[in-house]
Amino acid sequence: MSTLLFIVFAGIAIGCAIAMVSQSNPLYSAISLIGVFVSLASIYVTLAAPFIAAVQVIVYAGAIMVLVIFVIMLLNVEQLEPRRKRLKFLVPLAIGMAALLLAETAFILYSVQSPERAGGNLSNVGLTHSIGEGLFTRYLLPFEVTSVLLLMAIVGAMSLARRTAILSATARVVPGAQVLAAHTLDPRAIGNLRAVESETTDEAAQLMGVEIASDDKGRD
Amino acid sequence: MDWNNQYIHSVVLIVAITVAFLTIMLLVAATVLAERRVLALIQGRLGPNRVGFGGVLQPFADFIKTMMKEDLVPDQSTKFVFMLAPMIAVVTAIMAIIVYPFGPVITLPFLGSFPLRIAQFDVALLYVLGVTSVGVYGIALAGWSSNNKYSLMGGLRSSAQMISYELALGLSLIGVILLSGTLDIYRIVEQQSGWFGMNWNIFYQPLGFILYLIAAIAETNRVPFDLPEAETELVAGFHTEYSSIKFLLFFNAEYINMITVSMLATTLFLGGWNGPGVAQIPLLGVVYFFAKILFFLFLYIWLRGTLPRFRFDQLMDFGWKVLLPAAILNIVLTATFQFLFMK
Repeated sequence: MSTLLFIVFAGIAIGCAIAMVSQSNPLYSAISLIGVFVSLASIYVTLAAPFIAAVQVIVYAGAIMVLVIFVIMLLNVEQLEPRRKRLKFLVPLAIGMAALLLAETAFILYSVQSPERAGGNLSNVGLTHSIGEGLFTRYLLPFEVTSVLLLMAIVGAMSLARRTAILSATARVVPGAQVLAAHTLDPRAIGNLRAVESETTDEAAQLMGVEIASDDKGRD
Repeated sequence: MDWNNQYIHSVVLIVAITVAFLTIMLLVAATVLAERRVLALIQGRLGPNRVGFGGVLQPFADFIKTMMKEDLVPDQSTKFVFMLAPMIAVVTAIMAIIVYPFGPVITLPFLGSFPLRIAQFDVALLYVLGVTSVGVYGIALAGWSSNNKYSLMGGLRSSAQMISYELALGLSLIGVILLSGTLDIYRIVEQQSGWFGMNWNIFYQPLGFILYLIAAIAETNRVPFDLPEAETELVAGFHTEYSSIKFLLFFNAEYINMITVSMLATTLFLGGWNGPGVAQIPLLGVVYFFAKILFFLFLYIWLRGTLPRFRFDQLMDFGWKVLLPAAILNIVLTATFQFLFMK
Protein backbone atom coordinates (compact mmCIF):
# COMPACT_ATOMS: atom_id res chain seq x y z
CA MET A 1 0.00 0.00 0.00
CA SER A 2 2.72 2.45 0.97
CA THR A 3 4.74 1.44 -2.13
CA LEU A 4 1.71 2.25 -4.29
CA LEU A 5 1.32 5.63 -2.57
CA PHE A 6 5.02 6.31 -3.06
CA ILE A 7 4.80 5.54 -6.80
CA VAL A 8 1.71 7.74 -7.20
CA PHE A 9 3.13 10.76 -5.37
CA ALA A 10 6.63 10.38 -6.82
CA GLY A 11 5.04 10.32 -10.28
CA ILE A 12 3.04 13.47 -9.53
CA ALA A 13 6.15 15.17 -8.13
CA ILE A 14 8.27 14.37 -11.20
CA GLY A 15 5.46 15.34 -13.58
CA CYS A 16 4.94 18.66 -11.80
CA ALA A 17 8.69 19.30 -11.75
CA ILE A 18 8.93 18.75 -15.52
CA ALA A 19 5.89 20.97 -16.05
CA MET A 20 7.48 23.61 -13.84
CA VAL A 21 10.61 24.00 -15.97
CA SER A 22 8.87 23.59 -19.33
CA GLN A 23 6.04 26.10 -18.85
CA SER A 24 6.48 29.53 -20.37
CA ASN A 25 3.80 31.17 -18.19
CA PRO A 26 5.35 31.90 -14.76
CA LEU A 27 2.03 31.35 -12.98
CA TYR A 28 1.74 27.82 -14.37
CA SER A 29 5.30 27.18 -13.24
CA ALA A 30 4.40 28.39 -9.75
CA ILE A 31 1.30 26.15 -9.60
CA SER A 32 3.40 23.17 -10.74
CA LEU A 33 5.92 23.93 -8.01
CA ILE A 34 3.11 23.87 -5.44
CA GLY A 35 2.20 20.45 -6.82
CA VAL A 36 5.80 19.30 -6.30
CA PHE A 37 5.80 20.53 -2.69
CA VAL A 38 2.47 18.93 -1.82
CA SER A 39 3.40 15.56 -3.32
CA LEU A 40 6.78 15.69 -1.55
CA ALA A 41 4.89 16.28 1.70
CA SER A 42 2.77 13.22 0.96
CA ILE A 43 5.94 11.16 0.43
CA TYR A 44 7.26 12.39 3.79
CA VAL A 45 4.08 11.09 5.43
CA THR A 46 4.64 7.62 3.98
CA LEU A 47 8.22 7.79 5.27
CA ALA A 48 6.98 8.24 8.89
CA ALA A 49 7.94 11.94 9.07
CA PRO A 50 4.57 13.68 9.60
CA PHE A 51 6.11 16.78 11.19
CA ILE A 52 8.38 17.47 8.21
CA ALA A 53 5.41 16.92 5.92
CA ALA A 54 3.23 19.43 7.76
CA VAL A 55 6.01 22.00 7.91
CA GLN A 56 6.74 21.46 4.21
CA VAL A 57 3.13 22.30 3.35
CA ILE A 58 2.89 25.26 5.75
CA VAL A 59 6.22 26.90 4.88
CA TYR A 60 6.81 26.10 1.22
CA ALA A 61 3.34 25.56 -0.23
CA GLY A 62 1.52 27.88 2.16
CA ALA A 63 3.85 30.81 2.73
CA ILE A 64 6.64 31.07 0.15
CA MET A 65 4.60 30.12 -2.90
CA VAL A 66 1.76 32.43 -1.87
CA LEU A 67 4.26 35.29 -1.96
CA VAL A 68 5.56 34.16 -5.36
CA ILE A 69 2.04 34.02 -6.78
CA PHE A 70 1.27 37.36 -5.17
CA VAL A 71 4.22 38.92 -6.99
CA ILE A 72 3.28 37.29 -10.30
CA MET A 73 -0.27 38.62 -9.93
CA LEU A 74 0.98 42.11 -9.13
CA LEU A 75 3.45 42.24 -12.02
CA ASN A 76 0.89 40.80 -14.45
CA VAL A 77 3.48 39.10 -16.63
CA GLU A 78 1.03 37.05 -18.66
CA GLN A 79 1.34 39.27 -21.74
CA LEU A 80 5.08 38.63 -21.97
CA GLU A 81 5.92 37.58 -25.48
CA PRO A 82 7.84 34.31 -25.85
CA ARG A 83 11.45 35.38 -25.74
CA ARG A 84 14.03 33.95 -28.04
CA LYS A 85 16.11 31.28 -26.39
CA ARG A 86 19.16 32.61 -24.64
CA LEU A 87 22.15 30.71 -23.32
CA LYS A 88 21.59 27.75 -25.62
CA PHE A 89 24.75 26.01 -24.49
CA LEU A 90 23.05 25.33 -21.15
CA VAL A 91 20.67 22.77 -22.71
CA PRO A 92 23.26 20.06 -23.48
CA LEU A 93 24.95 20.86 -20.17
CA ALA A 94 21.67 20.26 -18.31
CA ILE A 95 21.07 17.00 -20.17
CA GLY A 96 24.59 15.87 -19.32
CA MET A 97 24.15 16.65 -15.65
CA ALA A 98 20.78 14.88 -15.58
CA ALA A 99 22.43 11.81 -17.11
CA LEU A 100 25.15 12.00 -14.47
CA LEU A 101 22.55 12.12 -11.69
CA LEU A 102 20.68 9.17 -13.16
CA ALA A 103 23.91 7.19 -13.42
CA GLU A 104 24.62 8.03 -9.79
CA THR A 105 21.19 6.82 -8.71
CA ALA A 106 21.62 3.62 -10.69
CA PHE A 107 25.05 3.10 -9.10
CA ILE A 108 23.59 3.48 -5.61
CA LEU A 109 20.69 1.15 -6.39
CA TYR A 110 22.79 -1.65 -7.83
CA SER A 111 26.19 -1.39 -6.17
CA VAL A 112 25.30 -0.59 -2.57
CA GLN A 113 23.52 -3.82 -1.71
CA SER A 114 22.24 -3.47 1.85
CA PRO A 115 22.21 0.11 3.10
CA GLU A 116 22.63 0.31 6.84
CA ARG A 117 19.56 1.31 8.70
CA ALA A 118 19.57 4.30 10.99
CA GLY A 119 19.60 3.21 14.59
CA GLY A 120 16.95 3.76 17.23
CA ASN A 121 13.20 3.48 17.04
CA LEU A 122 12.43 4.59 13.49
CA SER A 123 8.73 5.22 14.08
CA ASN A 124 9.52 7.89 16.68
CA VAL A 125 12.07 9.89 14.73
CA GLY A 126 9.64 11.95 12.65
CA LEU A 127 7.37 12.91 15.52
CA THR A 128 7.12 16.43 16.91
CA HIS A 129 8.45 15.49 20.32
CA SER A 130 11.71 13.95 19.12
CA ILE A 131 12.34 16.72 16.57
CA GLY A 132 11.80 19.40 19.23
CA GLU A 133 14.04 17.57 21.68
CA GLY A 134 16.78 17.26 19.08
CA LEU A 135 16.53 20.90 18.02
CA PHE A 136 16.77 22.30 21.53
CA THR A 137 19.40 19.99 23.00
CA ARG A 138 21.83 18.35 20.63
CA TYR A 139 21.47 20.74 17.69
CA LEU A 140 20.85 23.94 19.66
CA LEU A 141 23.79 25.87 18.18
CA PRO A 142 22.97 25.23 14.49
CA PHE A 143 19.32 26.02 15.27
CA GLU A 144 20.17 29.39 16.85
CA VAL A 145 22.68 30.23 14.11
CA THR A 146 20.01 29.56 11.48
CA SER A 147 17.56 31.83 13.27
CA VAL A 148 20.16 34.62 13.39
CA LEU A 149 20.71 34.11 9.66
CA LEU A 150 16.99 34.51 9.00
CA LEU A 151 16.87 37.60 11.18
CA MET A 152 19.74 39.08 9.15
CA ALA A 153 17.81 38.41 5.95
CA ILE A 154 14.77 40.22 7.35
CA VAL A 155 16.82 43.23 8.47
CA GLY A 156 18.60 43.34 5.11
CA ALA A 157 15.33 43.25 3.19
CA MET A 158 13.90 46.03 5.36
CA SER A 159 16.91 48.30 4.90
CA LEU A 160 16.96 47.71 1.13
CA ALA A 161 13.24 48.40 0.85
CA ARG A 162 13.52 51.61 2.86
CA ARG A 163 16.43 52.92 0.83
CA THR A 164 14.61 52.67 -2.50
CA ALA A 165 11.17 53.69 -1.31
CA ILE A 166 10.03 57.19 -2.20
CA LEU A 167 7.99 57.45 0.99
CA SER A 168 9.19 56.52 4.42
CA ALA A 169 7.71 53.50 6.16
CA THR A 170 5.53 55.72 8.34
CA ALA A 171 3.69 57.21 5.34
CA ARG A 172 0.01 56.38 5.05
CA VAL A 173 -1.71 55.29 1.88
CA VAL A 174 -5.28 56.47 1.83
CA PRO A 175 -7.66 54.65 -0.55
CA GLY A 176 -9.01 57.02 -3.16
CA ALA A 177 -6.11 59.46 -2.76
CA GLN A 178 -3.18 57.14 -3.09
CA VAL A 179 0.35 58.43 -3.07
CA LEU A 180 2.02 57.59 -6.37
CA ALA A 181 4.86 55.10 -6.46
CA ALA A 182 8.30 56.24 -7.61
CA HIS A 183 8.24 54.63 -11.04
CA THR A 184 4.92 56.20 -12.02
CA LEU A 185 6.31 59.72 -11.60
CA ASP A 186 8.12 61.54 -14.37
CA PRO A 187 11.50 62.39 -12.80
CA ARG A 188 11.89 65.45 -15.07
CA ALA A 189 8.66 66.99 -13.80
CA ILE A 190 9.70 67.10 -10.16
CA GLY A 191 13.45 67.13 -10.55
CA ASN A 192 15.00 65.42 -7.55
CA LEU A 193 12.90 62.46 -6.43
CA ARG A 194 14.14 62.68 -2.87
CA ALA A 195 12.30 65.94 -2.50
CA VAL A 196 9.02 63.99 -2.29
CA GLU A 197 10.15 62.00 0.71
CA SER A 198 7.71 62.73 3.49
CA GLU A 199 6.08 61.36 6.59
CA THR A 200 2.39 61.61 5.73
CA THR A 201 0.12 61.49 2.72
CA ASP A 202 -0.83 65.13 3.13
CA GLU A 203 2.79 66.20 3.17
CA ALA A 204 3.62 64.07 0.12
CA ALA A 205 0.62 65.39 -1.76
CA GLN A 206 1.63 68.96 -0.88
CA LEU A 207 5.18 68.41 -2.11
CA MET A 208 3.94 66.82 -5.31
CA GLY A 209 1.30 69.46 -5.88
CA VAL A 210 -1.59 66.98 -5.81
CA GLU A 211 -5.00 67.88 -4.38
CA ILE A 212 -6.37 65.56 -1.74
CA ALA A 213 -10.11 65.50 -1.22
CA SER A 214 -10.80 67.10 2.14
CA ASP A 215 -12.87 64.19 3.48
CA ASP A 216 -9.84 61.91 3.28
CA LYS A 217 -7.98 63.97 5.83
CA GLY A 218 -8.02 62.92 9.42
CA ARG A 219 -9.23 59.39 8.72
CA ASP A 220 -6.14 57.89 10.17
CA MET B 1 -15.91 -7.30 15.64
CA ASP B 2 -12.23 -7.08 14.86
CA TRP B 3 -11.57 -3.41 14.21
CA ASN B 4 -7.86 -3.94 13.62
CA ASN B 5 -8.39 -6.06 10.51
CA GLN B 6 -6.97 -4.13 7.57
CA TYR B 7 -9.96 -4.58 5.25
CA ILE B 8 -12.58 -3.84 7.90
CA HIS B 9 -10.54 -0.80 8.85
CA SER B 10 -10.56 0.50 5.27
CA VAL B 11 -14.32 0.02 4.95
CA VAL B 12 -14.90 1.73 8.29
CA LEU B 13 -12.73 4.66 7.17
CA ILE B 14 -14.66 5.10 3.94
CA VAL B 15 -17.97 4.97 5.82
CA ALA B 16 -16.69 7.44 8.41
CA ILE B 17 -15.47 9.89 5.76
CA THR B 18 -18.80 9.65 3.92
CA VAL B 19 -20.77 10.24 7.11
CA ALA B 20 -18.58 13.21 8.07
CA PHE B 21 -18.85 14.67 4.57
CA LEU B 22 -22.64 14.38 4.50
CA THR B 23 -22.88 15.84 8.01
CA ILE B 24 -20.81 18.84 6.98
CA MET B 25 -22.84 19.32 3.79
CA LEU B 26 -26.13 19.22 5.73
CA LEU B 27 -24.62 21.63 8.24
CA VAL B 28 -23.72 23.96 5.35
CA ALA B 29 -27.31 23.85 4.10
CA ALA B 30 -28.60 24.50 7.62
CA THR B 31 -26.16 27.41 8.08
CA VAL B 32 -27.19 29.01 4.77
CA LEU B 33 -30.84 28.87 5.77
CA ALA B 34 -30.12 29.98 9.34
CA GLU B 35 -28.06 32.89 8.04
CA ARG B 36 -30.95 34.16 5.92
CA ARG B 37 -33.56 33.62 8.64
CA VAL B 38 -31.50 35.10 11.47
CA LEU B 39 -30.45 38.09 9.36
CA ALA B 40 -34.13 38.62 8.56
CA LEU B 41 -34.91 38.43 12.26
CA ILE B 42 -32.24 41.03 13.05
CA GLN B 43 -33.52 43.32 10.29
CA GLY B 44 -37.21 42.85 11.16
CA ARG B 45 -38.09 40.80 8.09
CA LEU B 46 -39.41 37.27 7.64
CA GLY B 47 -36.78 35.69 5.40
CA PRO B 48 -37.39 32.65 3.16
CA ASN B 49 -40.24 30.67 4.74
CA ARG B 50 -42.18 29.14 1.85
CA VAL B 51 -40.21 26.15 0.51
CA GLY B 52 -40.92 23.19 2.78
CA PHE B 53 -41.97 23.60 6.38
CA GLY B 54 -40.83 27.06 7.50
CA GLY B 55 -38.36 27.23 4.59
CA VAL B 56 -36.23 24.19 5.50
CA LEU B 57 -35.98 23.14 1.85
CA GLN B 58 -34.90 26.60 0.65
CA PRO B 59 -31.13 25.75 0.48
CA PHE B 60 -31.88 22.70 -1.66
CA ALA B 61 -34.14 24.72 -3.97
CA ASP B 62 -31.36 27.29 -4.31
CA PHE B 63 -28.89 24.51 -4.98
CA ILE B 64 -30.99 23.11 -7.85
CA LYS B 65 -31.57 26.59 -9.23
CA THR B 66 -27.85 27.43 -9.24
CA MET B 67 -26.96 24.07 -10.81
CA MET B 68 -29.36 24.72 -13.68
CA LYS B 69 -27.74 28.04 -14.63
CA GLU B 70 -25.38 28.41 -17.55
CA ASP B 71 -21.73 27.84 -16.69
CA LEU B 72 -20.13 30.98 -18.10
CA VAL B 73 -16.37 31.17 -18.70
CA PRO B 74 -14.97 34.61 -19.59
CA ASP B 75 -13.50 34.71 -23.07
CA GLN B 76 -10.18 36.26 -22.02
CA SER B 77 -9.72 34.19 -18.87
CA THR B 78 -7.03 31.60 -18.21
CA LYS B 79 -9.35 28.63 -18.66
CA PHE B 80 -7.42 25.93 -16.82
CA VAL B 81 -6.69 28.03 -13.73
CA PHE B 82 -10.24 29.40 -13.83
CA MET B 83 -11.51 25.82 -13.53
CA LEU B 84 -8.89 24.77 -10.98
CA ALA B 85 -9.47 27.59 -8.48
CA PRO B 86 -12.92 26.58 -7.11
CA MET B 87 -11.74 22.98 -6.81
CA ILE B 88 -8.74 24.03 -4.68
CA ALA B 89 -11.00 26.17 -2.53
CA VAL B 90 -13.51 23.44 -1.74
CA VAL B 91 -11.07 20.52 -1.47
CA THR B 92 -8.75 22.28 0.99
CA ALA B 93 -11.77 23.45 2.97
CA ILE B 94 -13.18 19.95 3.36
CA MET B 95 -9.82 18.23 3.96
CA ALA B 96 -9.52 19.80 7.40
CA ILE B 97 -12.54 17.95 8.87
CA ILE B 98 -10.83 14.56 9.18
CA VAL B 99 -8.90 15.44 12.34
CA TYR B 100 -11.83 16.60 14.49
CA PRO B 101 -13.29 14.11 16.96
CA PHE B 102 -17.10 14.32 16.82
CA GLY B 103 -17.56 12.55 20.14
CA PRO B 104 -16.00 10.27 22.77
CA VAL B 105 -15.69 6.49 22.50
CA ILE B 106 -19.19 5.20 21.77
CA THR B 107 -20.41 1.67 22.54
CA LEU B 108 -23.15 0.38 20.27
CA PRO B 109 -24.89 -3.03 20.42
CA PHE B 110 -23.45 -5.62 17.95
CA LEU B 111 -20.75 -3.19 16.73
CA GLY B 112 -18.61 -2.87 19.84
CA SER B 113 -17.04 0.39 20.94
CA PHE B 114 -15.24 2.83 18.70
CA PRO B 115 -14.18 6.49 18.86
CA LEU B 116 -16.07 9.00 16.72
CA ARG B 117 -13.16 10.29 14.69
CA ILE B 118 -11.66 9.63 11.27
CA ALA B 119 -7.94 10.07 11.87
CA GLN B 120 -5.72 10.64 14.85
CA PHE B 121 -2.13 11.60 14.29
CA ASP B 122 0.75 13.41 15.90
CA VAL B 123 0.65 16.67 13.92
CA ALA B 124 -3.12 17.13 13.51
CA LEU B 125 -3.01 20.82 14.42
CA LEU B 126 -0.19 21.55 11.96
CA TYR B 127 -2.12 19.61 9.33
CA VAL B 128 -5.13 21.89 9.83
CA LEU B 129 -2.94 25.01 9.57
CA GLY B 130 -1.22 23.66 6.47
CA VAL B 131 -4.46 22.83 4.69
CA THR B 132 -5.85 26.26 5.59
CA SER B 133 -2.77 27.99 4.22
CA VAL B 134 -3.07 26.15 0.89
CA GLY B 135 -6.71 27.31 0.72
CA VAL B 136 -5.54 30.85 -0.13
CA TYR B 137 -4.71 29.68 -3.66
CA GLY B 138 -8.35 29.04 -4.48
CA ILE B 139 -9.24 32.69 -3.98
CA ALA B 140 -5.98 34.18 -5.30
CA LEU B 141 -6.03 32.13 -8.50
CA ALA B 142 -9.73 32.77 -9.04
CA GLY B 143 -9.08 36.50 -8.87
CA TRP B 144 -6.12 36.30 -11.22
CA SER B 145 -7.57 33.96 -13.86
CA SER B 146 -10.88 35.79 -14.29
CA ASN B 147 -9.13 38.64 -16.13
CA ASN B 148 -11.39 41.16 -14.44
CA LYS B 149 -10.05 44.07 -12.43
CA TYR B 150 -12.58 43.63 -9.62
CA SER B 151 -11.72 39.95 -9.36
CA LEU B 152 -8.00 40.72 -9.32
CA MET B 153 -8.45 43.32 -6.60
CA GLY B 154 -10.50 40.83 -4.58
CA GLY B 155 -7.89 38.12 -5.05
CA LEU B 156 -5.03 40.42 -4.06
CA ARG B 157 -6.86 41.72 -1.02
CA SER B 158 -7.73 38.25 0.09
CA SER B 159 -4.18 36.92 -0.28
CA ALA B 160 -2.75 39.86 1.68
CA GLN B 161 -5.43 39.47 4.34
CA MET B 162 -5.07 35.73 4.73
CA ILE B 163 -1.26 35.86 4.89
CA SER B 164 -1.44 38.55 7.59
CA TYR B 165 -4.09 36.90 9.74
CA GLU B 166 -2.69 33.39 9.40
CA LEU B 167 0.26 34.49 11.52
CA ALA B 168 -1.97 35.77 14.31
CA LEU B 169 -4.13 32.65 14.00
CA GLY B 170 -1.18 30.30 14.34
CA LEU B 171 0.40 32.24 17.20
CA SER B 172 -2.89 32.45 19.14
CA LEU B 173 -2.98 28.63 19.23
CA ILE B 174 0.52 28.26 20.70
CA GLY B 175 -0.80 28.99 24.21
CA VAL B 176 -3.03 25.93 23.99
CA ILE B 177 -0.18 23.84 22.61
CA LEU B 178 2.05 24.93 25.51
CA LEU B 179 -0.66 23.94 28.01
CA SER B 180 -1.40 20.54 26.53
CA GLY B 181 2.09 19.65 25.32
CA THR B 182 0.84 17.96 22.15
CA LEU B 183 -0.32 18.80 18.63
CA ASP B 184 -2.73 15.88 18.56
CA ILE B 185 -6.26 17.34 18.58
CA TYR B 186 -7.84 14.16 19.97
CA ARG B 187 -5.52 14.21 22.99
CA ILE B 188 -6.05 17.96 23.49
CA VAL B 189 -9.79 17.27 23.73
CA GLU B 190 -9.27 14.36 26.14
CA GLN B 191 -7.16 16.56 28.42
CA GLN B 192 -10.09 18.95 28.89
CA SER B 193 -12.39 16.34 30.43
CA GLY B 194 -11.76 17.16 34.12
CA TRP B 195 -14.14 19.12 36.42
CA PHE B 196 -17.17 17.08 35.23
CA GLY B 197 -16.27 17.86 31.63
CA MET B 198 -15.85 21.60 32.20
CA ASN B 199 -12.02 21.83 32.38
CA TRP B 200 -11.90 23.80 29.15
CA ASN B 201 -8.87 25.61 27.80
CA ILE B 202 -10.81 28.86 27.44
CA PHE B 203 -10.53 29.35 31.23
CA TYR B 204 -6.71 29.24 30.95
CA GLN B 205 -6.47 30.98 27.58
CA PRO B 206 -9.09 33.77 27.46
CA LEU B 207 -6.82 36.11 25.46
CA GLY B 208 -5.80 33.32 23.08
CA PHE B 209 -9.45 32.46 22.51
CA ILE B 210 -10.45 36.02 21.62
CA LEU B 211 -7.44 36.41 19.32
CA TYR B 212 -8.20 33.11 17.62
CA LEU B 213 -11.85 34.08 17.12
CA ILE B 214 -10.96 37.41 15.47
CA ALA B 215 -8.25 35.88 13.29
CA ALA B 216 -10.55 33.02 12.29
CA ILE B 217 -13.27 35.42 11.16
CA ALA B 218 -10.69 37.26 9.06
CA GLU B 219 -9.34 33.96 7.73
CA THR B 220 -12.79 32.94 6.47
CA ASN B 221 -13.36 36.36 4.84
CA ARG B 222 -16.53 37.04 6.80
CA VAL B 223 -18.02 40.32 8.03
CA PRO B 224 -16.44 42.58 9.30
CA PHE B 225 -13.37 41.34 7.37
CA ASP B 226 -15.10 40.54 4.05
CA LEU B 227 -12.90 42.89 2.01
CA PRO B 228 -12.24 40.32 -0.77
CA GLU B 229 -15.90 40.44 -1.78
CA ALA B 230 -16.88 43.93 -0.67
CA GLU B 231 -20.07 44.39 -2.70
CA THR B 232 -20.00 48.17 -2.69
CA GLU B 233 -16.48 48.40 -4.13
CA LEU B 234 -15.71 45.19 -6.00
CA VAL B 235 -19.11 43.90 -7.33
CA ALA B 236 -18.53 40.44 -5.84
CA GLY B 237 -14.76 40.37 -5.48
CA PHE B 238 -12.87 37.27 -6.54
CA HIS B 239 -15.98 35.34 -7.65
CA THR B 240 -17.48 38.07 -9.85
CA GLU B 241 -17.00 36.02 -13.02
CA TYR B 242 -18.09 32.69 -11.57
CA SER B 243 -21.52 31.22 -12.17
CA SER B 244 -23.42 27.97 -11.79
CA ILE B 245 -21.59 25.03 -10.20
CA LYS B 246 -18.27 26.90 -9.83
CA PHE B 247 -19.95 29.68 -7.88
CA LEU B 248 -21.63 27.02 -5.80
CA LEU B 249 -18.22 25.50 -4.98
CA PHE B 250 -16.89 28.85 -3.73
CA PHE B 251 -20.08 29.40 -1.78
CA ASN B 252 -19.75 25.94 -0.20
CA ALA B 253 -16.06 26.46 0.52
CA GLU B 254 -16.81 29.63 2.49
CA TYR B 255 -19.38 27.88 4.67
CA ILE B 256 -17.25 24.74 5.11
CA ASN B 257 -14.40 27.00 6.22
CA MET B 258 -16.71 28.65 8.75
CA ILE B 259 -17.64 25.22 10.09
CA THR B 260 -14.05 23.96 10.28
CA VAL B 261 -12.72 27.02 12.12
CA SER B 262 -15.68 26.69 14.49
CA MET B 263 -14.70 23.04 15.01
CA LEU B 264 -11.11 24.06 15.76
CA ALA B 265 -12.29 26.70 18.26
CA THR B 266 -14.59 24.11 19.86
CA THR B 267 -11.94 21.40 20.14
CA LEU B 268 -9.08 23.61 21.30
CA PHE B 269 -10.84 26.09 23.58
CA LEU B 270 -14.33 24.82 24.47
CA GLY B 271 -13.44 21.22 25.29
CA GLY B 272 -14.71 19.58 22.10
CA TRP B 273 -17.28 16.95 23.06
CA ASN B 274 -16.66 17.44 26.78
CA GLY B 275 -19.46 18.62 29.02
CA PRO B 276 -21.39 17.65 32.15
CA GLY B 277 -22.65 14.08 31.97
CA VAL B 278 -20.58 12.86 29.02
CA ALA B 279 -18.77 10.35 31.22
CA GLN B 280 -22.14 8.66 31.95
CA ILE B 281 -23.85 9.05 28.56
CA PRO B 282 -21.18 9.18 25.78
CA LEU B 283 -23.71 10.06 23.05
CA LEU B 284 -24.32 13.35 24.85
CA GLY B 285 -20.81 14.33 23.70
CA VAL B 286 -21.93 14.49 20.07
CA VAL B 287 -24.77 16.79 21.07
CA TYR B 288 -22.39 19.06 23.01
CA PHE B 289 -19.94 19.15 20.10
CA PHE B 290 -22.53 20.23 17.56
CA ALA B 291 -24.19 22.62 20.01
CA LYS B 292 -20.87 24.43 20.43
CA ILE B 293 -20.33 24.57 16.66
CA LEU B 294 -23.83 25.95 16.16
CA PHE B 295 -23.07 28.61 18.76
CA PHE B 296 -20.04 29.78 16.74
CA LEU B 297 -22.02 29.71 13.49
CA PHE B 298 -24.71 31.82 15.14
CA LEU B 299 -21.99 34.22 16.26
CA TYR B 300 -20.85 34.57 12.64
CA ILE B 301 -24.37 35.43 11.50
CA TRP B 302 -24.90 37.75 14.44
CA LEU B 303 -21.72 39.66 13.58
CA ARG B 304 -22.81 39.92 9.95
CA GLY B 305 -26.08 41.45 11.04
CA THR B 306 -24.47 44.02 13.33
CA LEU B 307 -21.01 45.12 12.22
CA PRO B 308 -19.91 47.34 9.31
CA ARG B 309 -16.91 46.44 7.16
CA PHE B 310 -13.31 47.45 7.93
CA ARG B 311 -11.39 49.71 5.58
CA PHE B 312 -8.43 47.89 4.02
CA ASP B 313 -5.64 49.85 5.73
CA GLN B 314 -7.47 49.54 9.06
CA LEU B 315 -7.63 45.80 8.48
CA MET B 316 -3.88 45.54 7.86
CA ASP B 317 -3.05 47.84 10.79
CA PHE B 318 -5.27 45.81 13.10
CA GLY B 319 -3.76 42.49 12.01
CA TRP B 320 -0.12 43.50 12.27
CA LYS B 321 -0.14 46.09 15.05
CA VAL B 322 -2.78 44.73 17.44
CA LEU B 323 -3.42 41.02 16.90
CA LEU B 324 0.16 39.91 16.29
CA PRO B 325 1.73 41.67 19.33
CA ALA B 326 -1.17 40.50 21.51
CA ALA B 327 -0.65 36.92 20.33
CA ILE B 328 3.07 37.11 21.12
CA LEU B 329 2.23 38.58 24.54
CA ASN B 330 -0.13 35.67 25.12
CA ILE B 331 2.65 33.19 24.35
CA VAL B 332 5.07 34.93 26.74
CA LEU B 333 2.44 35.09 29.52
CA THR B 334 1.46 31.45 29.09
CA ALA B 335 5.05 30.24 29.08
CA THR B 336 5.88 32.33 32.17
CA PHE B 337 2.86 31.10 34.15
CA GLN B 338 3.52 27.55 33.17
CA PHE B 339 7.16 27.79 34.22
CA LEU B 340 6.26 29.40 37.59
CA PHE B 341 3.19 27.46 38.68
CA MET B 342 2.89 24.21 36.79
CA LYS B 343 6.33 22.67 37.12
